[in-house]
Amino acid sequence: MHRRIITTILRREFSETIRNRLLMATILVPPLLLTVAPLLLGSAIGTHTLPPDLVKSVIAQRPDWASFSPSELAGAFAVQQFLAFFLLMPAYIPLAIATFSIIGEKQARSLEPVLAAPIRTSELLAGKALAALIPGVAAGWLTYVVFIALASVVYGPHLFVVVSDPSWLAGVFVLGPAVGLVSVVAGVIVSARVNDPRVAQQIGGVVIVPIIAVTLLQATGTLLVGASGYLILAAIVAGIGLLGLRLGVRLFEREAILTRWR
Amino acid sequence: MSDADPIALRATGLGRQFGAAWAVRGMDFEVPRGRVLGLLGPNGAGKTTTVRMLTALIEPTEGTATIDGFDVRSQPDEVRARVGILTETPGLYDKLSAQANLDFFGRLYGLDAATRAARIEHYLRLFSLWDRRSDVAGTFSKGMKQKLAIARALVHDPALIFLDEPTAALDPEAAYVVREAIERLRQAGRTIVLATHNLDEADRLCDQVAFVRGGLLRIDSPARLRGSLAGGRVEVRIVDRAADAGLLTIATGIAGVGAAHFDGDRLMVDAADPASVTPSLVRALAAAGAAILEVRPAATSLESVYFEVMGVQPGANGEAA
Repeated sequence: MHRRIITTILRREFSETIRNRLLMATILVPPLLLTVAPLLLGSAIGTHTLPPDLVKSVIAQRPDWASFSPSELAGAFAVQQFLAFFLLMPAYIPLAIATFSIIGEKQARSLEPVLAAPIRTSELLAGKALAALIPGVAAGWLTYVVFIALASVVYGPHLFVVVSDPSWLAGVFVLGPAVGLVSVVAGVIVSARVNDPRVAQQIGGVVIVPIIAVTLLQATGTLLVGASGYLILAAIVAGIGLLGLRLGVRLFEREAILTRWR
Repeated sequence: MSDADPIALRATGLGRQFGAAWAVRGMDFEVPRGRVLGLLGPNGAGKTTTVRMLTALIEPTEGTATIDGFDVRSQPDEVRARVGILTETPGLYDKLSAQANLDFFGRLYGLDAATRAARIEHYLRLFSLWDRRSDVAGTFSKGMKQKLAIARALVHDPALIFLDEPTAALDPEAAYVVREAIERLRQAGRTIVLATHNLDEADRLCDQVAFVRGGLLRIDSPARLRGSLAGGRVEVRIVDRAADAGLLTIATGIAGVGAAHFDGDRLMVDAADPASVTPSLVRALAAAGAAILEVRPAATSLESVYFEVMGVQPGANGEAA
């Protein structure tokens, strides 16, 4: 693969993305909301405490929280739910960009002249995938950095320790990109078959379902995933993403794009 | 390969099957350098499939073709580097400027910054788009978009240019602008393959015309194709038709003349070799007192040849109505 070609495609994709107002709104607005919401909620927890049964369950899964006061434990439990928010960004932003990009090219019929150039379809796919993945992962990471900077002020030292512990770091910096990869792959596969970006996003949105499942399990106190858990999840998700990528590469063959994409 | 080979494109038994159906097969033809070949046929005849095979976009099921000496099957990247293609729709990036559209393709083809800048300026000026270079392509008229797409096909200086239906869906004014652009390329000695179902366009722009309908039906120059259907006919316009029967007898009596009849004030004389019989014919008719106003070879349109070759009766079964 030629880096020059991938970079060329990446530059063009970025140029088009920043000119697409709807897409830019999709990329920029949710990270702002997802930064502010946990901070407001975290600061509103105040002196609330958890039911005794839930306290037992939480401490059993996170013994490192045993030294927290009842209100700190309630706060830690509440803010822990928001880790999933930072996984939603690498999940939906790449999906939105990939579907807009591929379906946009299908509608404009601009892929044929590109495919007539001496490039490999894997280079085209790599350029498009990176152009979708980078903003999603970067948004997740940047939002987290802003969040953690504000969290130290809003939450106080104990909750700051919670949102900056290894489980959060593993979730945001390792599982996030893996989720982004699956999201890109879902965007590519669905966009090959669908001609409306919104429909593609709805179908591709199934990648968010496992994240919601993890959130629900955490919210009920059934499963509080630690750093090793997030690393294992990241490996599984990345494996799924790489398997999907093989299918995506097959869908991205010249003949398939020109004769089977409708 | 090199410019020493006078043939830019060779297709040998080229064919492509989709499922059980053949889109096109048995395509055998050559295009010499600096010539314009028209692929003429109705919608679904296999023109676009042929263009896609020749530009290494899809692989032939059978046969092969070489572009500038490079095989479309075994050397697709070399072929792609040497062809420029205008697809059926312009396929531009509407949110990017004209300049950015061309720059993107210049980069894809590996042109350095100085070459890109020079070529982009050259082609935007050639097609009168330089003043609009910073405007996004989405604001262009259909004709301007088509010209920009042609410029895109040329930016890497290809050995062969493929133009697939360049004036389809354009209004007459835009079509004229695009035809003028193609004419400029022709005059500059470019080798062009023009897929079209516009007979007038093919007649005006092409050195050779290939009739395609699931395969190659006939290929020749427009003049020869017209001549082949006319079979040699001379039209003699006469002012006073007082002695019709006598003139017919005189005409058919001349060696080399097959048949003759009147069509209004025109005496239509069929001859295998019109050039050799015309002087004798004119002398004999003038000697018989015919007031001859005009003598010329009978004109046969490419349209007539098209219907003949395609085996289509205009208006019959709704075809070619």
